[in-house]
Amino acid sequence: MSQGDTHTTTPAPDALELRTVVEARHVTLGFDADPVLQDVSFTVTRGETRILLGPAGVGKSVLLKLANGLLKPDKGSMMLFGEDTRAIPEGELLTLRARTGMVFQEGALFDSLTVRDNVGYQLLQDRGISDEEVDTRVREALKFVDLERTFSLYPSSLSGGMRRRVAIARALINNPELILYDSPTGGLDPVTSTNIIELIMKERDLHATPSMMVTHRLQDAFMLCTHRFDADAGAMVKLPEGQADASTTFLMLEEGRLVFDGTLHELVHSENPFVREFLE
Amino acid sequence: MTIVTNRLDRTAKQLVLTVQEYSLFAWQAVVNLFEPPVYWTDFLIQSDIIGVGSTSIVLLSGFFTGAVLALQSAATLAEFGANGLTGRFVSLTMIRELGPVLTGVMVSGRNASSMASELGSMIVTEQIDAMRALGVDPMRKLVTPRLYSTITMLLFLTIIADAFGILGGGFVTVFLNHQNGTQYFSTAWEALRYPDVIQGLVKPLFSGFIIASIGCFYGMKTSGGTEGVGRATIQAVVSASVLIIFMDFIMTHILLSLLGTG
Repeated sequence: MSQGDTHTTTPAPDALELRTVVEARHVTLGFDADPVLQDVSFTVTRGETRILLGPAGVGKSVLLKLANGLLKPDKGSMMLFGEDTRAIPEGELLTLRARTGMVFQEGALFDSLTVRDNVGYQLLQDRGISDEEVDTRVREALKFVDLERTFSLYPSSLSGGMRRRVAIARALINNPELILYDSPTGGLDPVTSTNIIELIMKERDLHATPSMMVTHRLQDAFMLCTHRFDADAGAMVKLPEGQADASTTFLMLEEGRLVFDGTLHELVHSENPFVREFLE
Repeated sequence: MTIVTNRLDRTAKQLVLTVQEYSLFAWQAVVNLFEPPVYWTDFLIQSDIIGVGSTSIVLLSGFFTGAVLALQSAATLAEFGANGLTGRFVSLTMIRELGPVLTGVMVSGRNASSMASELGSMIVTEQIDAMRALGVDPMRKLVTPRLYSTITMLLFLTIIADAFGILGGGFVTVFLNHQNGTQYFSTAWEALRYPDVIQGLVKPLFSGFIIASIGCFYGMKTSGGTEGVGRATIQAVVSASVLIIFMDFIMTHILLSLLGTG
């Protein structure tokens, strides 16, 4: 291997740091003395989609909440945009979080607000943005998730799948630099799940927004790897046999410990008994 | 024996921890007003919900309390030939004590419970986390507006309760006890001194603080799903009501010493 090759495949530390959006360094967290996560380390770089796999109750959602500082580690450090979430006060964390978007397990829409006010929530807090601009941007975000007609409705009148899509629109409206999806397809029927995955793929392929997605549904995870969004066709298309999206990689948790970190190819060829059992 | 000691030890520590958490929570809610962003629109919305929404119950409870006071006192005062002092008795009792306490307890039943259940539901459905994830501080957005609007509105609600209490007493005096209405209202007015009015207007400020801070505190520390929301609501109403009466005792003692009406 030539010197030139080495430089292109291994970025200099500073360059890597600049590209890193989230970095977990030996993160440990417990609730009431019960350890939930133990010594977890990983990174999310710009343009990368990381899928967190694992059975229910292994700490996937907790890890996601640690990533944007909603929870803070007991030990180790969680770096968000280069800032240690444990070291900075809540006020500064709020500013950092405003640069991210998060889709919660059940949507977590504000049930007393209309879809317009939910999606535009972040913009409405900014007094410098006019109502007309909020309306325009809300309609754009709703168009992205194909739910323009729900503009004036309340969350209670939406189906489960529609709520998730509204939650995605809310997470995307401020052009986040990181998106966190917490089981976005959990509890949905296969058709709706595919629609949600298509939206996540659309955001990944059109805007290259780095993201972390928690799921225990392998079919969703594999679909994200084996498909790409075709902007011209306005739909996802399957990649040629044997190819996978290079920016989409996997993390797997087993009882609070990270047991796998790698690509789809490495995942399906892993010799780790837990990974094998999970896949089978 | 060891089990009992351990349980007592745990309970005592839990109590101290809760008091500490509440103190920090209430302090944060208070000081948020002096640093932007301040959500004035939410302050107005909450003032409408808490103030205007509670007017009817405060008005009715004030009116009937004044009426009962007039009914009960008339018989006793008649024994001493002091029928004409009914107005003085009703106005002093309403303005100094029953107006502030009753309004506090009534508003606590309506609003401490609604704050605890609303915020508790938002916690269990991850709406509070969603708010934080969107870069909005729930303490500033939800708690501080509720705190200051409750304090402000409780002051006006107490004035309404006092006025309708005196009116209720007047109604009983004129239509049931068949006494002179002019005498009732003039003694009610003449008996009042500034220290009485100050006493009656200082207490609601503290009651308002207790109602909102306790309601929001229990709401924001809800855990355990929908059952937890119910538990938080009960704890909020019980704690707020008891604290209002306790605060009334302490404040009465302090204000009587300071203002010298004792």
